Amino acid sequence: MLTHTEGHMGPTMQFGIFTVGDVTPDPTTGRRPTEGERIASMVTLALKAEELGLDVFASGEHHNPPFVPSSPTTMLGYIAARTERLILSTATTLITTNDPVKIAEDYAMLQHLAAGRVDIMLGRGNTGPVYPWFGQDIRNGIALAVENYALLHRLWREDVVDWEGRFRTPLTGFTSTPRPLDGVPPFVWHGSIRSPEIPEQAAYYGDGFFANHIFWPKEHTQRMVALYRRRFEHYGHGRADQAIVGLGGQVFMRHNSQDAVREFRPYFDNAPVYGHGPSLEDFTDQTPLTVGSPQQVIDRTLTFREYVGDYQRQLFLVDHAGLPLNTVLEQLDLLAGEVVPVLRREFAALTPAHVPDAPTHAGLVAARDAAAASPVSVA
Amino acid sequence: MANAPTPIRRRTIVVVHAGLGQPSATRLLADRLAAATVGELAAKGIDAGVTMIELRDHAQDLVSNLLTGFPSPVLQASIEDVVGADGLIAVTPVYSASYSGLFKLFFDVLERDALAGVPVLVAATAGTARHSLALDHALRPLFVYLGAAVVPTAVFAAAEDWGTGGDPMEPSLADRIARAGRELATALVTRDAKPGPDPFADPVPFEQLLARDQG
Repeated sequence: MLTHTEGHMGPTMQFGIFTVGDVTPDPTTGRRPTEGERIASMVTLALKAEELGLDVFASGEHHNPPFVPSSPTTMLGYIAARTERLILSTATTLITTNDPVKIAEDYAMLQHLAAGRVDIMLGRGNTGPVYPWFGQDIRNGIALAVENYALLHRLWREDVVDWEGRFRTPLTGFTSTPRPLDGVPPFVWHGSIRSPEIPEQAAYYGDGFFANHIFWPKEHTQRMVALYRRRFEHYGHGRADQAIVGLGGQVFMRHNSQDAVREFRPYFDNAPVYGHGPSLEDFTDQTPLTVGSPQQVIDRTLTFREYVGDYQRQLFLVDHAGLPLNTVLEQLDLLAGEVVPVLRREFAALTPAHVPDAPTHAGLVAARDAAAASPVSVA
Repeated sequence: MANAPTPIRRRTIVVVHAGLGQPSATRLLADRLAAATVGELAAKGIDAGVTMIELRDHAQDLVSNLLTGFPSPVLQASIEDVVGADGLIAVTPVYSASYSGLFKLFFDVLERDALAGVPVLVAATAGTARHSLALDHALRPLFVYLGAAVVPTAVFAAAEDWGTGGDPMEPSLADRIARAGRELATALVTRDAKPGPDPFADPVPFEQLLARDQG
């Protein structure tokens, strides 16, 4: 159990950004960035996030156009070399179609190179053809997530693994290298929008649960997190309010909220996911999307804990739907300059001390050492 | 009735229709089918409530749901009515040899097993009786796919059926409506509706998910 660091106001939350990595034409100019430009802009965002004092940068993983991030550890490794304190993560890593052995190796390597500034969010992926492209079947999505993670979990914790399952060639006497940094695997988040098996899985292992919290009404997030918390306690990892929860979020800001609405509307109306459907006003009512002033974003974000409880990580989606890089960088300035400092203060004041800090490598190492030093396990 | 059984639980019937006109022949047929079913249930001593869902009211929200993957609160309320109903009456105009696109949209956004085991009466309207096979070639397979229990009589009303132009050798529209209403009422009475497990209240324990995997 991670307990919060002594000497400051309340448990530590992490704030950051996550990116899908879509190459989408700017609907106001028709200009489509090249793949190279999009990859470079993702790196720029990560470096800017570090410069502005945000905590986390997470990249999606996709294997089809119009998305560029097919190889997240390559990009994250490059960013790791150019940053000092930013936590590098994924949103999400495909536990269904990636070989769990390769995930174990790649992210342990990244963990060493980044000196522990790495965690990973596992998801199933929702693009049907990706499964057959990697020799799998989407109808096995849950079964793949269950079996592959069971293997990944062992590969990071057992030096020599004998293993046999349904989906991958058996292993006899296999050692995944490099071994995790300091013998502590990267923290794992399990992400899902609506499948109850995934919060169940996260709870069973005592891992984190991350809710997309972008595209759908908050009620979906609420029931997924509630299930995860209840089952986290059931499996003996701590109290329900000590489970490790992360949320997505989506914002567009200008100092004058009418300017934000006017500027964002063409991007919303033509967005690949929800464009040409509901109005911007309906969608902001029905989902966590907030378009307005920094103060509106602060107010809305503070309501999230009212329906998921105290949580550890808040990631925002800011670079999508063809928004130009300069606009996105301005969003980061507003986020890191005006929104996050207030959120840090307000959340810290609201969160009781027994709620764990957001996971970090140092925290996990300290928890492991504390557990080893204490002969009696305390929940 | 002398031998009416003791009244049992009140039944809910939801009518979904895709008529667009004002007034609408599709709505008219839907009303008649609902009244016939309620009358049959009353004769069996069973009280029934009817909720009428006009898909026209949800047209924009249905397209948005298709695009975003979730229903607006207003559409969600209608979906919950349908999912919670004891029986469904589904009526569409025939467009281009099949149900209308608006009608299909509603059933496209339901969860896969939302209608499993639900008694359904299907009906359609068109200008001419030459479209009547749309009921058995389009509507019935749709509801069979959704796992619904479609009653044997499907009711088709051509424009001429509302006057004297029906086929004199066949049962009249009123007769067909009465027969279909009887069938749906019987199916409603005999249905043993048990709500399925709630995967959020009672998740499959992870040990079982793991074991399933190894099986």
